[in-house]
Amino acid sequence: MAQYQNIFTQLQVRGPIDLGPPIPDQAFRSRSGRLSRLIGWFGSAQFGPIYLGRLGVASLIFGFLSFEIIGLNMFASVGWNPIQFVRQLPWLALEPPPPSYGLHLPPLNQGGWWLLAGFTLTVAILLWWLRTYRRAKALGMGTHVSWAFASAILLYLSLGFIRPLLMGSWGEAVPFGIFPHLDWTAAFSIRYGNLFYNPFHALSIAFLYGSTLLFAMHGATVLAVSHLGGEREVSQIVDRGTAEERASLFWRWTMGFNATFESIHRWAWWFAVLTTLTGAIGILLTGTAVDNWYLWAVKHRFAPEYTMPYVSPPDPATGASAANPLGIKQ
Amino acid sequence: MRGRILAVLGVVVGVLLMLALVNAFRATSAVQTGFRGVGMEQVDFNTRLEAKLAANTVPDPIPAAGEGGELAAYAYQNVQVLGHLSSGEFTRLMAAITTWVAPEVGCVYCHAPQRDDKGQIMKDEDGYVIADPNKMDSDETYQKRVARRMIQMTLHLNGDWKDHLKETGVTCYTCHRGQPVPANLWFDPPPDPMADRLVGSSAGQNHPNAAAGVSSLPVDPFRPFLVSDEQIRVIATAALPGTDRQSIKQAEWSYSLMMHMSSALGVNCTYCHNSRSFGAWDASPPPRAQAWFGIRMVRDINKNYLEPLAGTFPENRLGPNGDVPKAHCGTCHAGAYKPLLGVSMLKDYQVLARAQPQPPPRPPEQGAASTPAQEPTPAR
Amino acid sequence: MALLSFERRYRVRGGTLVGGDLFDFWIGPFYVGFFGVTTAFFTILGTALILWAAALGPTWNPWMINIAPPPITYGLAFAPLQEGGFWQLITICALGAFVSWALRQAEISRKLGMGYHVPIAYGVAIFAYFTLVVIRPVLMGAWGFGFPYGIFSHLDWVSNVGYQYLHFHYNPAHMIAVSFFFTTCLALALHGGLILSAVNPQKGEATKTAEYEDAFFRDTLGYSIGALGIHRLGLLLALNAGFWSAVCIVISGPFWSRGWPEWWSWWLNLPIWN
Repeated sequence: MAQYQNIFTQLQVRGPIDLGPPIPDQAFRSRSGRLSRLIGWFGSAQFGPIYLGRLGVASLIFGFLSFEIIGLNMFASVGWNPIQFVRQLPWLALEPPPPSYGLHLPPLNQGGWWLLAGFTLTVAILLWWLRTYRRAKALGMGTHVSWAFASAILLYLSLGFIRPLLMGSWGEAVPFGIFPHLDWTAAFSIRYGNLFYNPFHALSIAFLYGSTLLFAMHGATVLAVSHLGGEREVSQIVDRGTAEERASLFWRWTMGFNATFESIHRWAWWFAVLTTLTGAIGILLTGTAVDNWYLWAVKHRFAPEYTMPYVSPPDPATGASAANPLGIKQ
Repeated sequence: MRGRILAVLGVVVGVLLMLALVNAFRATSAVQTGFRGVGMEQVDFNTRLEAKLAANTVPDPIPAAGEGGELAAYAYQNVQVLGHLSSGEFTRLMAAITTWVAPEVGCVYCHAPQRDDKGQIMKDEDGYVIADPNKMDSDETYQKRVARRMIQMTLHLNGDWKDHLKETGVTCYTCHRGQPVPANLWFDPPPDPMADRLVGSSAGQNHPNAAAGVSSLPVDPFRPFLVSDEQIRVIATAALPGTDRQSIKQAEWSYSLMMHMSSALGVNCTYCHNSRSFGAWDASPPPRAQAWFGIRMVRDINKNYLEPLAGTFPENRLGPNGDVPKAHCGTCHAGAYKPLLGVSMLKDYQVLARAQPQPPPRPPEQGAASTPAQEPTPAR
Repeated sequence: MALLSFERRYRVRGGTLVGGDLFDFWIGPFYVGFFGVTTAFFTILGTALILWAAALGPTWNPWMINIAPPPITYGLAFAPLQEGGFWQLITICALGAFVSWALRQAEISRKLGMGYHVPIAYGVAIFAYFTLVVIRPVLMGAWGFGFPYGIFSHLDWVSNVGYQYLHFHYNPAHMIAVSFFFTTCLALALHGGLILSAVNPQKGEATKTAEYEDAFFRDTLGYSIGALGIHRLGLLLALNAGFWSAVCIVISGPFWSRGWPEWWSWWLNLPIWN
């Protein structure tokens, strides 16, 4: 018999706006929330109230500054032509300084704006981190979300600040731009001998795909027992109900072991956090500790060997050519 | 009701998907160049491959000239490069060049036009401008002076760049393909108007760039690498740091050049590289070495043959910065892995195989009419 | 044996799709079922083939073992064992094992009175694998377009196939898939962190309820998707990551053969820009 699989909410219940438990700085919460029927099909219908204190406002200001610096530079780069701005937007960028400036402060239009944008963005992000920490503390909750955020911030800082510092060149950092940051990614892998052979890159991908696997598993499991209240995870944790029992048994019978409703969230937290953590390590080791990951892999005996159906040519820069295959100096 | 709509929608989507899949079945052909499963393959749509075949037809060679005859240096005036040819071979080559470079216009594209008594350019009874047969030696048109240098260039390429051209060689047709101005040339891009302002410098990249396959990679990979000899290699040759000071940005510049080479030759990166190790020569397939020579050859063409023509080309042939048209890989290859798909025109035009020393000027007392007794040994 | 404290009452008969009571039992914590048998069969056979192929290869170094598909010159035919035939048989065993696993998950779901979300989600992952080793190779006319089985050798395939399109990052479906992967990771961190922060509160505080979960995200971001919503969201983000990955590779080759940056020309040439 066909069963509804609870992907969309069939009956939206309207109640009073939930203003949340009391917190010390209640005044900074907006007065009320609004309901959205459209969103209510999928998630909670209520938008707001939002807490906007000094930290949040400061973070938004710095974020806005960064956004404007980047956007206005992009707009300028097409000669302030609004049609070309929209047309070329995916290609546009704010580029870091040329390597010739090292770690010195370059002129504004030669990477100086990039440094300003990066600085204001970093301040905004750090202020926002503090905001997540404070909001958790105000509610008496653990700060697990903040520490997960910190792992992501570590990756961001590694890419844009720590590694350029270690390499002695702002020019090593990532440009702000949709396609250009992808060019940077490809060029990074080309320059450093194929990042697939960086073990921390491999670990990071394993944790990224693992996170996706875990959320598919966890999301599906909870939905599969949602008719038994499985989504009320905190309740299931402190007072195990049939939802937790069936969910655990499903995986025990499938793969021989299982998590609990709390421990699955530890698996989840660690997989997600380790994605960015190992990624940051992989970035920091590139160029500093290892200059060519493929050759490093060959050295450490984990690069596969193939018998190619062709004979590789000698390097012509050594003087070798078709007429002179060994490159013997004439 | 909703279920029915969804079902109908599902069927429609399913049918469209089936049609797309059936259409795509075996629509491509591929050549595998590496070990199985490594992913070194050249794949293209059969329709595009057929179009490429059609676009790379070689004109039939003109029947060979007869043996013997006076040397061109003596039969004609002002022959500076091809004087060693017999006049028969010389005129055959001239006819060939006309079909290769200016078939619509004819000899008068390079040679001085016939003028009337008042100096106005004349047309014949069919309405065409024709070359003045009494002034074929005149260098008054810039095209003739350029063409002479082009012929020297062709002889030099075929004779001295066998590392890239092997025995296939090139002729005027390889670049010109029946057009006076080759389709695939490049000029220096206009300077970045925002470079000296307060904001908005593009740092030489970050715009849609046809040269680099419509990516946002650097706009002009040509001047640094195909005129100047900036270093293309960016990858370290040792696992640990200490040997390579190239930056990521320099890698982007080299990448831009490589994108150009791919589209110019209609091949992907795995034609010359095993991407697991772009830099290692002991992992790369043979075309990479040929490409290395190709880059040096293009530098030679641009620096020694094209750029020195700056004073010869008129304004309307120059770029927005006033620079001459220059060559890159696409000028000869025009989207094919070998120009004209590897068919050699040189074998039918061996006179273009290499430069030869010119015959000495004829002593004046011999007079205008040539006599066989004074013929020096024909240079072959 | 090895039963959880509450497990006995759930071990009932029924829920099977095929075979009735014949395989309706457990071995240790593992449920068997008809599809448990087929899974075991394909897995053991496939693993044996992998070991055999590795033994015939040059190395036992686990990072370097490589079982490669046939050369594309064999087209869609069966290739000799050592010229890609092993790869083909292993692929058949893999698909058999994966489908069996999904159907076993369905049987377990039925027995436990749960929805089918898990086997359906797993089916999306199987679809991605199937796209890589069956759909795309068939469309292109040769099994040799599949990826090799080897820890680092499959990465060489990824690298080279990517560079066949000059700059694979510009593949629009790849962009969508990557965005879904990163968003899934973000959402997982947020959800895992949120639940842990509720049941591991500040020192001296009581365990927090659903109101606190919602309040944290409403305070911080202005919106909380809620306990049910986050699991819907997480599942759909994760499945989209897998789905768009399959799309991004199946369009590369059968539907687009040039560099992926060049695909964006349609945007640059839209008539509205004139």
